[in-house]
Amino acid sequence: ERDLLSYGSAVLVDIPGLRFTGTAREKAGVLAFVIDGIHPHDIGTIVDREGIAIRTGHHCCQPLMARLGVSATARASLAMYNTRADIDALGIALHKVREVFG
Amino acid sequence: MSAGLDDLYQEVILDHNKRPRNFRVIEPSDGSRKAEGYNPLCGDRLTVYLRVKDGVVIDASFLGSGCAISKASASLMTDFVKGKTVAEVEALFERFQRMITSAPDVPVEDLGKLSVLSGVRQFPLRVKCASLAWHALRAAAQAREEVVSTE
Repeated sequence: ERDLLSYGSAVLVDIPGLRFTGTAREKAGVLAFVIDGIHPHDIGTIVDREGIAIRTGHHCCQPLMARLGVSATARASLAMYNTRADIDALGIALHKVREVFG
Repeated sequence: MSAGLDDLYQEVILDHNKRPRNFRVIEPSDGSRKAEGYNPLCGDRLTVYLRVKDGVVIDASFLGSGCAISKASASLMTDFVKGKTVAEVEALFERFQRMITSAPDVPVEDLGKLSVLSGVRQFPLRVKCASLAWHALRAAAQAREEVVSTE
């Protein structure tokens, strides 16, 4: 999971306008992020059509969202069944999101 | 884009999301009304403002934050209802709701520019985003200054 996490972080950081919202040193295998000007729901809908399931919204933690100054985030969670290929697919799908919204 | 996404994120919708029309407040004054729409589970929140004179909507606007679908729907809506009577707005609400909740293979009623939102039928989870502004519109038209939700 840790390997996937660092691989995932490296892949996602290349998406224009993407900002991670969780950057603690000791973090669990989640990639939570926002993309400039694109609402997480729209991100979720588009990557869903590419066969990728992520969570979007405030993840039942509105106080944290308020603290972070966002209304919602997108979150890809990593588990034992995920592979680097999954991360690659996510990266491609997020580039597509960027393409749709310009 | 895949066929479904093409229907949902059409140029018009992306344009209205990027440059929402009537994205401003209508200050409290004679004939002004407003109502808020808020979906707590997803965070879409907007306020719809109307100015009504002699039963006709002479101005409509909105403010708020939310996903592209909710914003585009509100933007298209405020353009569309200007000049309509309150009764026409009520009827339009019903027609719009029918359109976005109809089955994807049912022919779409011609609602002019609003028909671009028919693509949301293939994304049941997003129907509430498209209809939030409309529920707020109806509340405002009925002079019910309350917070409505589509969740």
